[in-house]
Amino acid sequence: MAGLTRTAGAFSVTPHKISVCILLEIYAPSAQYLSYPFHSVSEHNRLGLYLLSLTKSCDDIFEPTLEELLHQLRGIGGSMDAWLTGQLIKRFSSLSSPDDLMTFFNEIRGILGNGFVQDDQIILDPNSNLGMFVRRCILAFNLLSFEGVCHLFSSIEVYCKEELCYSAQYGASDKNLESLTQYDQMDMEYVMDKATEKLELQKNACGSLPFHLHTPEALFKVTEGLLITRKEKLRTSKKTTEATPVACSSSSTVEDTLADESLFLRTNLQIQGFLMEQANKIEIHGSSFSSSPIESFLEQLQNLAPELHRVHFLRYLNKLHSDDYFSALDNLLRYFDYSAGTEGFDLVPPSTGCSMYGRYEIALLCLGMMHFRFGHPNLALEVLTEAVRVSQQLSNDTCLAYTLAAMSNLLSEMGIASTTSVLGSSYSPVTSTASSLSVQQRVYILLKESLRRADSLKLRRLVASNHLAMAKFELMHVQRPLLSFGPKASIRHKTCPVSVCKEIRLGAHLISDFSSENSTMTVDGSLSTIWLKNLQKRWGQDMFSHDSGSRKSSIFFQFYDRLVSIPGSVSQLIGASYLLRATSWELFGSAPMARMNTLVYATLFGDSSSSSDAELAYLKLIQHLALYKGYKDAFAALKIAEEKFLTVSKSKMLLLKLQLLHEHALHRGNLKLAQRMCNELGGLASTTMGVDMELKVEASLREARTLLAAKQYSQAANVAHSLFCTCHKFNLQIEKASVLLLLAEIHKKSGNAVLGLPYALASISFCQSFNLDLLKASATLTLAELWLGLGSNHAKRALDLLHGAFPMILGHGGLELRARAYIFEANCYLSDPSFSVSTDSETVLDSLRQASDELEALEYHELAAEALYLISMVYDKLGQLEKREEAAALFKMHILALENPQDVEPNMA
Amino acid sequence: MVSKESCRNEIRAAIRQLSDRCLYSAAKWAGEQLVGIEQDPSNFTPSNTRFQRGSSSIRRRFSTSESITTPQPSVGFSQAVTPLPEEDEVIDGDLYLLAKSYFDCREYRRASHVLRDQMSNKSVFLRCYALYLAGEKRKEEEMIELEGPLGKSDAINRELVSLERELSALKRSGAIDSFGLYLYGVVLKEKGNESLARASLVESVNSYPWNWSAWSELQSLCTSIEILNSLNLSNHWMKEFFLANAYQELRMHTESLAKYDYLQGIFSFSNYIQAQTAKAQYSLREFDQVEIMFEDLLRNDPYRVEDMDLYSNVLYAKEACAALSYLAHKVFLTDKYRPESCCIIGNYYSLKGQHEKAVMYFRRALKLNKKYLSAWTLMGHEYVEMKNTPAAIDAYRRAVDINPCDYRAWYGLGQAYEMMGMPFYALHYFRKSIFFLPNDSRLWIAMAKCYQTEQLYMLEEAIKCYKRAVNCTDTEGIALNQLAKLHQKLGRNEEAAFYFEKDLERMDAEGLEGPNMFEALVFLATHFKTHKKFEEAEVYCTRLLDYSGPEKEKAKSLLRGIRMAQTGFPSMDIEHFPL
Repeated sequence: MAGLTRTAGAFSVTPHKISVCILLEIYAPSAQYLSYPFHSVSEHNRLGLYLLSLTKSCDDIFEPTLEELLHQLRGIGGSMDAWLTGQLIKRFSSLSSPDDLMTFFNEIRGILGNGFVQDDQIILDPNSNLGMFVRRCILAFNLLSFEGVCHLFSSIEVYCKEELCYSAQYGASDKNLESLTQYDQMDMEYVMDKATEKLELQKNACGSLPFHLHTPEALFKVTEGLLITRKEKLRTSKKTTEATPVACSSSSTVEDTLADESLFLRTNLQIQGFLMEQANKIEIHGSSFSSSPIESFLEQLQNLAPELHRVHFLRYLNKLHSDDYFSALDNLLRYFDYSAGTEGFDLVPPSTGCSMYGRYEIALLCLGMMHFRFGHPNLALEVLTEAVRVSQQLSNDTCLAYTLAAMSNLLSEMGIASTTSVLGSSYSPVTSTASSLSVQQRVYILLKESLRRADSLKLRRLVASNHLAMAKFELMHVQRPLLSFGPKASIRHKTCPVSVCKEIRLGAHLISDFSSENSTMTVDGSLSTIWLKNLQKRWGQDMFSHDSGSRKSSIFFQFYDRLVSIPGSVSQLIGASYLLRATSWELFGSAPMARMNTLVYATLFGDSSSSSDAELAYLKLIQHLALYKGYKDAFAALKIAEEKFLTVSKSKMLLLKLQLLHEHALHRGNLKLAQRMCNELGGLASTTMGVDMELKVEASLREARTLLAAKQYSQAANVAHSLFCTCHKFNLQIEKASVLLLLAEIHKKSGNAVLGLPYALASISFCQSFNLDLLKASATLTLAELWLGLGSNHAKRALDLLHGAFPMILGHGGLELRARAYIFEANCYLSDPSFSVSTDSETVLDSLRQASDELEALEYHELAAEALYLISMVYDKLGQLEKREEAAALFKMHILALENPQDVEPNMA
Repeated sequence: MVSKESCRNEIRAAIRQLSDRCLYSAAKWAGEQLVGIEQDPSNFTPSNTRFQRGSSSIRRRFSTSESITTPQPSVGFSQAVTPLPEEDEVIDGDLYLLAKSYFDCREYRRASHVLRDQMSNKSVFLRCYALYLAGEKRKEEEMIELEGPLGKSDAINRELVSLERELSALKRSGAIDSFGLYLYGVVLKEKGNESLARASLVESVNSYPWNWSAWSELQSLCTSIEILNSLNLSNHWMKEFFLANAYQELRMHTESLAKYDYLQGIFSFSNYIQAQTAKAQYSLREFDQVEIMFEDLLRNDPYRVEDMDLYSNVLYAKEACAALSYLAHKVFLTDKYRPESCCIIGNYYSLKGQHEKAVMYFRRALKLNKKYLSAWTLMGHEYVEMKNTPAAIDAYRRAVDINPCDYRAWYGLGQAYEMMGMPFYALHYFRKSIFFLPNDSRLWIAMAKCYQTEQLYMLEEAIKCYKRAVNCTDTEGIALNQLAKLHQKLGRNEEAAFYFEKDLERMDAEGLEGPNMFEALVFLATHFKTHKKFEEAEVYCTRLLDYSGPEKEKAKSLLRGIRMAQTGFPSMDIEHFPL
């Protein structure tokens, strides 16, 4: 029960905190204390800034050792450092009995200006951050019992000893040694003795155990040992312990004597901040993040602070991302059992009312999301339903809003058919009203509910992500007018790009007002951490560069940079909005806009996003490359991306590779390879985990196209027909449009232009209502081709149609589409009887040359051959025999390549 | 085989050696077993007879009957003649004597200091042991001093490092005796090196089997049956004690009982064996028997506090307030600062419905021993009673983290979450608890109820659970009735009839009556009537006629209907005629 009674923010005095107090005394000296003559105000400020970041930084769970502290002190540099370290060590060595500690803290009290201030005295505002720190230290010291003071005293001894040992070994700061009292020197000798003793012992152990693999490392550690930071020490010795049971008896000896004292945790706040940063890291890097180091330090932390329950949560996250279901579950449950969902930071007071009963509904929410992640949608839905019910009972609206959002996310991702039974059994008003509706409608209602609640509770992040989800919903799901009763009501489906755009915009508003919600603690903490880290880095560079001016500015810049930086979750959300924008532009048919948004995402949010999102962005860019720059570039980019995302679980890279290879094979006329890729795609679509509908549709679409390329018209038509039925059955409206277009293509190729026309027209009307502009343009092109196929007397009409679609095609279309349009234009002109080649040859030749260049990049032999054929014909007419021969030779080359695709088979497969 | 005489001689020597080395609890244990051996009549001394007169007639009856039915040869476990423990050198050094008396006055550091240059095995052991205990004492103190805001309790025994170093050096050079090995094992265990600790302890008990402390340390390291079986232990009668204890901790109660039964052949008056048997019986829920055994035990050993918390649990379960208060009073006078005493008092208050006070005493017990498992669980129960679910959950979770096999705490967690209206979440905990105790009908019924809650309403799963409960011999008879009702609700009348009949049989056998009975009879009567099995229907109807109330009227009308149907009137058709 200790967990419930203790205050979370308690604070204990440690040697490190005493060091900070000493430095503070130097920073703001009390009247009777000798003050250091600071050279400039900036120097003084620098010290202040350093102290501030010391109290806030969150880069580890342990406080730094004296040695690390001195190292950093040297970093803040200038003429201060020698004096500062000297003072620090002198002050410590003057603490020779517990009574000195008492007097020390009495003196410290003097630096807090209390009423009586002299003119030139710098006082520390008791309510400032540093002042608070000092006050907390004094309070904590006053609360100590005598035993506590004794413990503090002996830990100070150890704290100093290590540093002295270090300086003795390296003779770095000899001058400090002189100021030591006899007492300290004795102790130092003792430490040295111990170290050598250990060394010998280690040698003994090595001698008797020659097979012990880690021996050299361990030996190295003892000689070098006192220099290595403590954390590393613990880790390496942990490793040794695992190595062989026999050997660890000796190696653990080292660990104990070195680490058993003076392992001081930082303040609760700093640890929480550190844990949050770690959690962020886990999330961003996902499964590519190796989980064992985190696990080992979490274990340590748990031993040292068993009442810090957040550790369990972090363990859960870690296990979640390394796909360890059982321990993830175990740790999640443990966390909520202990903390009742109420453990948070001591800055944020737990909202009143709920804490009495605990907040187990949050446990349900987390559990639901965990099940979702591990792919148990039904379990997840069950748990989330319970979460809805419990949070309604306890009127925890915040949790309810989040739960509803999670639920809608779950439903939209999984699209479970059998949800009715589950949702129907629940008693919550939200879900039960939804029980008679389809999954999509339920998703919509859940989202709306969640959005409403989040809006009224001012949960900005949730509002933003709900808006994004809404945008996604608008994008994916085709609306039909709500009042569709009776036979006369129109049952037209449509999408509404305006609302998508609106939702995305609303989502992105987040960036303007995130500052009101984020926790200042972590930002502050990480800021301080960065600052301290910079200090050290610069200290290393210092030896080589003397250019202090530029250095300063760069640091300032970085510092400033961090100041305006935004919390990870916010930037993730905004990144997601860009990705969504890219996707919606892709659908609505603007390639440049899609590309631009993806690029924005990849450059600005690539670092802060989760690796699967980053992967998606890369995927889009590569697809874009393939469409607009040809396969060579795309494959090169793919190779890079594959290396980068090798470790991501459920990687989509394989999928992309198959798609690219299929396209490539189709264009080159290597139908066997294309067929194989098709089959593999189909295999990916229905795995043991479940069937991915979209992928399945894509696979059969590609199959139909392959068949079409192989001139198996009736079979291709069959496949396309059944595909259309599937799309209709599963309400995949957008896919319907492309299937219709494909059918039109098939009929066009089979020479049955009359049959093709209705399909093309249907496709166009579909595209119109769903705002699929690019697809519409290509359907228009097909329609024009069909008209021309009816006879050359329709050439005029075909040309008009084509010119209508030209802006769209040239502005946004890919290489293939553009080339097709060019060739077709030439065809139209050529078949128009009123057109004379000899007078107007450039119109035709220009488009044809364009087409053949673009097809060259695409390696689309069939079309390229067609273009070259037309070129050579035109030259023939014009009587330019030389150019004709040139074109004909190229034509022959393409035809040959088309006929034997194997000899140039790409090595990518 | 081991004769009682040889056992006696072994133990006598062992006690001398153990107490010479200040291993007092092992000596105490050995002493208990020594007087537990049936006295051989030739050297009865007055004090012996006095001791044995105290034992109850019941036990005497048990033990004698047993010794008649199973004659001596059963004790054939160790063919190899166990060596008598070698007598120590008779003369201890003067310093050793001084050190031992310091030790006896609990001045451990002083004791070890006196022995600093002594090289004999015995002195080395005592020095190390004293040092170890000094470190332990300091650790306990520091634990309270250092208790930080986040429960930081990294207090460790600071002597472990040097002890380990010294003992491992001794071990390498071969100059270590079995006591040293025991201490080495303890040190290794504290340092978390379990496999090495096991090896050392096994070596120790193989060379000197009479040190019960070593055995119990070894037992605490045997967390699974696989580990237990992999130990390479030489045969000795002490091994049987060890195995019995280990089986019990691994929840193999019947195996453990068999071992104790067998040991009682020699140590027929051992209080220890009796208490352990009672423990095993308690786990098998034989409360009446356990109560008799504990009464008996207290008669022989009225100031015993060990294991009495278990007795109080039994009294609690039987709701014997007076007896429980008597017990609490007695242990309170004996030693009030024992976790067991606090726990007994807590139980008493809990039975009286004064939950705050009960919590206070459980807390006190936990202050005395932070890892006192049953106190955490019992405190959880109290918090549940007080409707403070978060506190209850916390307490249960601590119990589970101390011992993940504690099915009561898992069950408690499930119950707490169910109370808060989170049945689906609770299911996980019920599952856990059932995993550790799959043969308990109460757990299955609890889980079934969870499935049955209106929030989940997963009746099929509930039926499965009830079926398991029936297979586990459900003593309270809930499962059959619920099964019947569930089937009825789901419209599976055949199955419902089957279970109602079974339930009826059970109630008949136990001579019970009540609403369940009426319900079953009415259902069966109507069911058989609709299936035109009039004879059966009539039987049930006539049984119903024995009772007064609305059921009787119902039975009468049913009987009328049956008559009508039997005489051939198409009674059903009448309703269809337009009137």
